[in-house]
Amino acid sequence: MSATAIDRGPWLTALARINAVDIVLWALRIGVLLVVVVGTINELIKDPYTAAQWFDFLMFGLTLGSIYAQIALGYTMVYGVLRLINFAHGDFMMCGAFAGYFVATPLENSGFLDTHPVAGMAAILAVAIVVSTTIALLTERIAYRPFRRAGGLAPLICAIGVSFFLEQTFRGMFGSDVKAYPSPSWQRSAFQFGSLQIPRVDALVIVLAVLFMGLLYLIVQRTRMGTAMRATSEDPEAAALMGIDVNKVVVFTFILGGAMAGIAGVFYAFVYKQVYFYMGFEPGVKAFGAAVLGGIGNIPGAMLGGFFLGLVESIGPSVFLDGLGIPAPYQLRDLIAFTLLIMVLIFRPQGLLGERMAKKRA
Amino acid sequence: MRRFFFMRTAVGRGLMFGAGGVHLAVVGVLLMLHNRSIIVDTLSLGQATLVMLGVAAGAVALPERLSPDRGAQLAAGAVAGLAAAAPIALLAVAIGTIRLQSIFVALTPDLLKLLTSDLGLGWGSALLLGGGLLAGLIGAALRVCPPAIRSTLIAAVTAVILAGVFEELIQLMLQYEGPIGAVRDTLYVWNGLTPLGAVIVFVVAAAVHQAWAIFGRHRGTAPDEGQLRRQRMIRAGVALLVLAIMPVLAGAYIGQVLMLVGLYILMGMGLNLEVGLAGLLDLGFVAFFAVGAYTTALLTADSPHALLHLGFWMAMPVSVVLAVLVGVVFGLPVLGVRGDYLAVATMGLGEIVRVLVLSDFAAPLLGGAQGVLQIPKPRLGDVVLGSPVQLFYVTLVASGVAAFVAWRLENSRLGRAWMALRDDEDVAQALGINLVRSKLLAYGLGAAFAGLAGSIFATMLTSVYPSSFQLLISINVLALIIVGGMGSLPGVVLGSIVLIGLPELLREFGEYRYLFYGAALIVMMQWRPEGLWPSEVRRRELHAGETTAELDQGADLLPAEPR
Amino acid sequence: MARHALAMALAPVALLLGMQIAAAATVGPVTDPIGVIRIPKGAPVMIGAYMVLSGPDTALGEDEERAIKIGVNNVGGKLLGHPIALDFEDDQCDAEGGQTAATKLASTPNMVIALGPACSSSATPAAPILWQAGITDIGTACTAPALTAPDRKPEYDGFVRTVYSDNDQGASDADYLYKAEGYKTAVTVHDGSPYAEQLVTVFGNDYEKLGGKVLSKEAVAPTDVDMHPLLTRIASEKPDVVYFPIFTAAAAQILRQSKEVPGLEHTAFFGGSALLSADFIQAAGPAVVGFRIGYPDISASAMGKGYPKFVAEYKKDYGEGPISGYHANAYDAFTLAYKAIMKVAKTDKAGNLYIGRKALRDAVFATKFEGISGPIACDAYGECSQFHGTVLQFTSADPKTFGVGKNPIKIWPK
Repeated sequence: MSATAIDRGPWLTALARINAVDIVLWALRIGVLLVVVVGTINELIKDPYTAAQWFDFLMFGLTLGSIYAQIALGYTMVYGVLRLINFAHGDFMMCGAFAGYFVATPLENSGFLDTHPVAGMAAILAVAIVVSTTIALLTERIAYRPFRRAGGLAPLICAIGVSFFLEQTFRGMFGSDVKAYPSPSWQRSAFQFGSLQIPRVDALVIVLAVLFMGLLYLIVQRTRMGTAMRATSEDPEAAALMGIDVNKVVVFTFILGGAMAGIAGVFYAFVYKQVYFYMGFEPGVKAFGAAVLGGIGNIPGAMLGGFFLGLVESIGPSVFLDGLGIPAPYQLRDLIAFTLLIMVLIFRPQGLLGERMAKKRA
Repeated sequence: MRRFFFMRTAVGRGLMFGAGGVHLAVVGVLLMLHNRSIIVDTLSLGQATLVMLGVAAGAVALPERLSPDRGAQLAAGAVAGLAAAAPIALLAVAIGTIRLQSIFVALTPDLLKLLTSDLGLGWGSALLLGGGLLAGLIGAALRVCPPAIRSTLIAAVTAVILAGVFEELIQLMLQYEGPIGAVRDTLYVWNGLTPLGAVIVFVVAAAVHQAWAIFGRHRGTAPDEGQLRRQRMIRAGVALLVLAIMPVLAGAYIGQVLMLVGLYILMGMGLNLEVGLAGLLDLGFVAFFAVGAYTTALLTADSPHALLHLGFWMAMPVSVVLAVLVGVVFGLPVLGVRGDYLAVATMGLGEIVRVLVLSDFAAPLLGGAQGVLQIPKPRLGDVVLGSPVQLFYVTLVASGVAAFVAWRLENSRLGRAWMALRDDEDVAQALGINLVRSKLLAYGLGAAFAGLAGSIFATMLTSVYPSSFQLLISINVLALIIVGGMGSLPGVVLGSIVLIGLPELLREFGEYRYLFYGAALIVMMQWRPEGLWPSEVRRRELHAGETTAELDQGADLLPAEPR
Repeated sequence: MARHALAMALAPVALLLGMQIAAAATVGPVTDPIGVIRIPKGAPVMIGAYMVLSGPDTALGEDEERAIKIGVNNVGGKLLGHPIALDFEDDQCDAEGGQTAATKLASTPNMVIALGPACSSSATPAAPILWQAGITDIGTACTAPALTAPDRKPEYDGFVRTVYSDNDQGASDADYLYKAEGYKTAVTVHDGSPYAEQLVTVFGNDYEKLGGKVLSKEAVAPTDVDMHPLLTRIASEKPDVVYFPIFTAAAAQILRQSKEVPGLEHTAFFGGSALLSADFIQAAGPAVVGFRIGYPDISASAMGKGYPKFVAEYKKDYGEGPISGYHANAYDAFTLAYKAIMKVAKTDKAGNLYIGRKALRDAVFATKFEGISGPIACDAYGECSQFHGTVLQFTSADPKTFGVGKNPIKIWPK
């Protein structure tokens, strides 16, 4: 008898504790789930796409995702060490893309890029990395270092200011028109596997991105500086007590993040060809979403989040939005990315792989 | 040895200014400034900027804590000025010799002419270097001369520059015939000051400044805290009165600009409740603005999209109420999200609203890309409040009401609950504050202000287009309350004037507005994070934090463990 | 206390002063129901202009600015002995910019007439503001049908334009694609701008009236970069043609990526009049060869006789050929303004000039002449330009070869 009474207890108390907020949150979860599931089922019933086209969606998504992943890595590393959302990170990517443009164009015009692909790409990437890293370091030194101890809004606003400043500087320097990356011959065609095809440039970008990210992972896991970075990320004061020079770690973090952003910029430009001063903002915000999705401060998480976001953006509108009969679903594509971001921030701020860094302690 | 160290510091600082000058040149700002003349055919804003770079370099060549003597100051100033001019001279030589314009679009022949004062590379660079030296010397001289002379000189020069830069505005205000017109004609030609005019302004400003200083000195003892506050209130009151009367004197264009400023003040007060008082960083604020605007549009417009055809005065309260509802609905899901994450989450919500408003999906209701047109102006009986000046007064009244509400809220129980929330959510909850209720009220009330602003915005433009509701607006509002001073109503007004009004007046710099914006944000956050006119509480908070921070940094001062 | 009272007293005065009632007036020798402008002897005749002078579409507005300046030069910079002063404002191609620019112009004393804008979204709030101050506005590149529609509101009575209406552009494009090329199915894509969205709607209606079928109406954002999913979806619908009259950045992406998406090899792509620039050729790359756009006829045979001379002058003054497509319309707008002012302006014995505002507006509506963009004659609703639709085709991917009539060349009507 008493067992039953005790059994019913927790249920009742749980029921009593439900309030309006919980209802709303559950409604949100269910709503989004419904949209996704119903839309997908409808679309699969309609089945307008061939296998080759599904494969295309997949490939395009992975390409975009690999770029998001690289940018997300920079965000996640900086946040881990500084607890700062570096709004200007997308603009580091833009700087790298611009720098690469000014190398790529003469290389292409002289034919060098066509005949010596490896050397050409290496040169473009090298210049892009140098430029984006330099700008990252300058930003850290001028805009972020004074805020090392402060919290609150000031660093965030400062980051937004840096973002504007970089964008407008590049616009003033290079004009507001759109510049196009060259298309060297070895990038033009596609690899064929039976009826499936991947454009060469996409395959190249995916493979190289994975390589670079793997390299980054090794650096962070195996080298001394990488370990110092991880330690600082977990507990800056303890790390300082262990003799780690936090300044050096921060500089190192920005170097790595800036380099990744520069590489991402060049890859982005080779795939999408267009470079202009505002190109970094949107990928930056979305990559931040990817970083949060994977777990902020967590490097494999950022990579995972990036690829996931890329796939969702590629497949999402075509699948569930279209399945619900929404006109012009591609306009709403950003909606998907932002909804994903918001859902993650509300329901699982630690991300898929991360720890509980979201709730600030008193 | 000390000399060498001094020189090194001076050179370093000078180089920084030089780098700044190069940046301005390469970005194209310098040339644009050059197109704006202060004194017609004699001094352009661009030339003035170059000179000021040198002067500034000289003035800050040596920091106070090195306690240098006069001679060292002057020498260091000269060196700093030279160091500031060097990079610019190098740039000029580079432009002249290498064909850089294919990459850096701003390095045009016109820029070269400006930098070398059209004297050719050799003489031009020499002039730059010599001029830099001189300017640096002047800067250092300003630093060492008695404060009375220094402040007078600075005031007079500033007056001339302002008179030159704002010549259009001032001429607009003096657009009467008769004696005022005669004054205007002596001072100005159609695009700048005349040399005579510059001299007159200089002398008058210097005289006024001196008179003010003498008057102040004759007052006697320094005023106490209470008197100071009253003085500030009086000054603020007078400033507001001037602002209120200006559109009548200066015409419809000023009315338009001030109306925009007024709308942002309204929004700023709303966001102030959320961010300044309750500490809820909301970057999706533009969504509430959009709700207010679209509701008014859909309820009053003379177009097929409209649901009803009410008058503005009926639609406005509905817009506000709807905005509050949306605020609460937005706030509900993100109640548990904190800090930076809240910023990004609300930003996402704002963007979702923007995408929806533009989409074809919502177009049957909201008009899609075409927006909603033919929104009528408000009517007071028989009078149509159509002109910008009239709408400005509507905005002024609305702001007044909103300011009153905000002021009362700040000092109410709810306001205090918000401040507790901002400082520490967990402790606030432990103290018995209902987090959910407080947060939702913050979102709702903040949204109400934005909804009101949106409503007036819709009727001002007579049409709403989705492109008007971008993330940039949220960032603008956030920036203006931060730069103006968070948690302080006068700060919101000041921030709005500086960040919204000034760029509108200086529209020809429109392209580079965001460059200055970004730089201003960075500089403000580092130099004066509490804002230009902070509330007393805030100032105490932020500067108290400094002492503890210094103590915290003790960790860095301990010697590192030997490896 | 005194201050309070003063403020109270001033408020209603302020309200009264603020109202800009254009009132009937007799000034000097001129009587006019709306108002009279008096220009003292030697003072400049103020002509205002507002167009997009910053941002990605700068070329559009700058082209027009140059054309207007050439127009002023060609009349010697003077009008009836008074110098002509031009006041250019940047409207940033959006509604707020248009409103602010128009308010600035409207509050400038003695502003006689306004030219521009280039963007329909800025004309919509701006024209009523100008007309309320009695200033006639001659549009130069804003093509939205609503601006000169028969059911336009009285606030737009002072608005005319020397550029065609998109009603005609859409009809012409539908004509070409359905009748001349035989494309039976189409997919339209717009980018959320009022111009593009309106144009695809007009096109869709006309296309279906002719017998074609619009399979779906898609949309992208102007900053969208990844068009693969959209293109794959379009490929699955297998239309004959994709109609996308959008702006440079997004259009170039679609064009480029269409070559990478399988299934679109037999689909034609057709763009609109925002793409006539070297910037577009550069952005689109090799995919631009063979790409067609619908455009009003600006070839030498369709333009007025004075056009080649204009182009030569343009090249002399600015060192390059026209950078966009609406320079001729802007030049004609200025000419229209000039002729109308000449018609109604009266000089008194002292040498002051008087212009009646309503008379000026009526003169603008009544003036007919051979402009360099074609015959100019305004109908009752402000449509002054005649439209001849053509199709242009790009021939080379080298941006240096850009030239109106060369790359792209006119391919229809033959």
